[in-house]
Amino acid sequence: MAISALGLKMAKQKAEAFLRENNYSTLPIDPLAIASKYDIAVQAKPSSVEGVSGMLLRHGSSFGIMYATNIASEGFQRFSVAHELGHYFLDGHLDHVLPVDGNGVRVSHAGFTSGDPYELEADYFAAGLLMPGNLFKRELKRADSGLTAIEALAGICRTSITATAIRYAELTDDAVAVIISTGPVIDYCFMSDAMKSLPQLTWLKKGSPVPRETQTFQLNADPKNVETAKRISAEIDVMDWLGGSRSVIIAEEVVGLGSYGKTLTVLSSESIGLQAAGWDDEEDDENLIESWKPRFRK
Amino acid sequence: MNEKLLPSEIFQKRLKSAREDLRKWNQAQLAERAGLPPSSIAHFEAGSRKPSFDTLHRIATALDVTIDYLLGRTESLDGAEASDPLFRDVSKLTGEDRELAKDFLDMLAKRKK
Repeated sequence: MAISALGLKMAKQKAEAFLRENNYSTLPIDPLAIASKYDIAVQAKPSSVEGVSGMLLRHGSSFGIMYATNIASEGFQRFSVAHELGHYFLDGHLDHVLPVDGNGVRVSHAGFTSGDPYELEADYFAAGLLMPGNLFKRELKRADSGLTAIEALAGICRTSITATAIRYAELTDDAVAVIISTGPVIDYCFMSDAMKSLPQLTWLKKGSPVPRETQTFQLNADPKNVETAKRISAEIDVMDWLGGSRSVIIAEEVVGLGSYGKTLTVLSSESIGLQAAGWDDEEDDENLIESWKPRFRK
Repeated sequence: MNEKLLPSEIFQKRLKSAREDLRKWNQAQLAERAGLPPSSIAHFEAGSRKPSFDTLHRIATALDVTIDYLLGRTESLDGAEASDPLFRDVSKLTGEDRELAKDFLDMLAKRKK
C-alpha cells in the first residue's frame, strides 16, 4: 500500500466521525476510556523499558494495547494509545499486522521502514481522535494566539506541544508558521493558510538550515538552551525566515523542547490576512507525512 | 492451508460461507445483527472493502464464530483461539518487549470468559 494523502485524510476523518457518532462533544478525548468501552485492555509498559511506543495484541476475540512510558509525556503516551486504536478501527489494518500463514511468516512491506502507510494512517487517526477539527476550532476561537494558544490547546487536549502546534497551524485563521528544528537544521515547517497568502515564500524543506538572523538560530547554538526549555520571543521580519517579497514584522516565539532535543518556533502575525494563496497543498501533505513520525521512532 | 492469502482475503471467503451455509442469512440480516450498514457485507464479500478489527469482532460475534475462523487461523468454527502480537515488525521487538507481550497475551487469554 502506497502512502496516499487521501488515505491519511480519511484516517483522520474516520476518527472524527467515530467521535461524532459516539457523541463525544468535549475535550480532552480519553483514548483509554474509548479502549475500555470496546473492552480493549490497556497496560502501560514499565518506564524502564524502551522499545516500541505501542502494540496492539489479540488473543481470540480479546484485544489489548500496551504503550510505552519511558518518555514521561502524557501527550506522547495518549498519542501512542490513540495510534493503536487506529490500528483497531481502521479498515484493512489486519493485513498489516497479522501473519500470512500459521508459520510466523509475516506480511512484508519491504521499503517502507519509517514511511509505512499503515503507521502513518494510525498517526493521522490519533491526531483526529485527540484533536478533532470541530472541537479544536471551538477552543481555538477562545484561545490567544501563537505559542500561548498552542500551550493552552495542548493543555485542553492533553496532547504534546509539537502535535498540537501542527494541528494549530492546520486549523487557525491567523497567519502562523510552526517550525521544528534540531540544532542548525529544520525538521519541518507548517504554515497556516493565512501565512501562505504572502507572495513568493520559500518553502522550508526538511534539512534546510535555520536562518542565522533568527532567535531560533541563537537558541539552538547552545544545546543547553534546548535541554532547559529556554524561551525567547522577539520581533522579526518574515522575510528573514520565509523569504518572499513582502516585508512584514511578525512575532518569533521559540522554546526548547527539553529531552526531546528539538526546538519549536512559532511565527505569528495579526497583520497578515487571507489573500489569494495559490499555494501547492501537496507540499503540506508531504510535510504532514514527515511530521508525526519522530514520535514513533523513539 | 491458506498460504499466501492475506487475512482479509481469507475473511472474504469465510464470511460468505459462514453467512450462507452456516447461518443461512442474507447480507442485510447479518449487517443488521452486526450493527453495520446494510451494504457493508456485500463490500466485504466482494473484496471491495477490507474490515477493521472492530468490524471483524462485530461480525464474528453476530455469526457466533471465532475471529480465528474468519481469519483462517483455525479450520473449525469454534476451535482453539490464537494469540497475535499485532505489530508488523515483531521480529524487531526487543527481548523485553517480547516478554511483556507474552505476559500480556497470557493475561488476555485468561481474561476471555
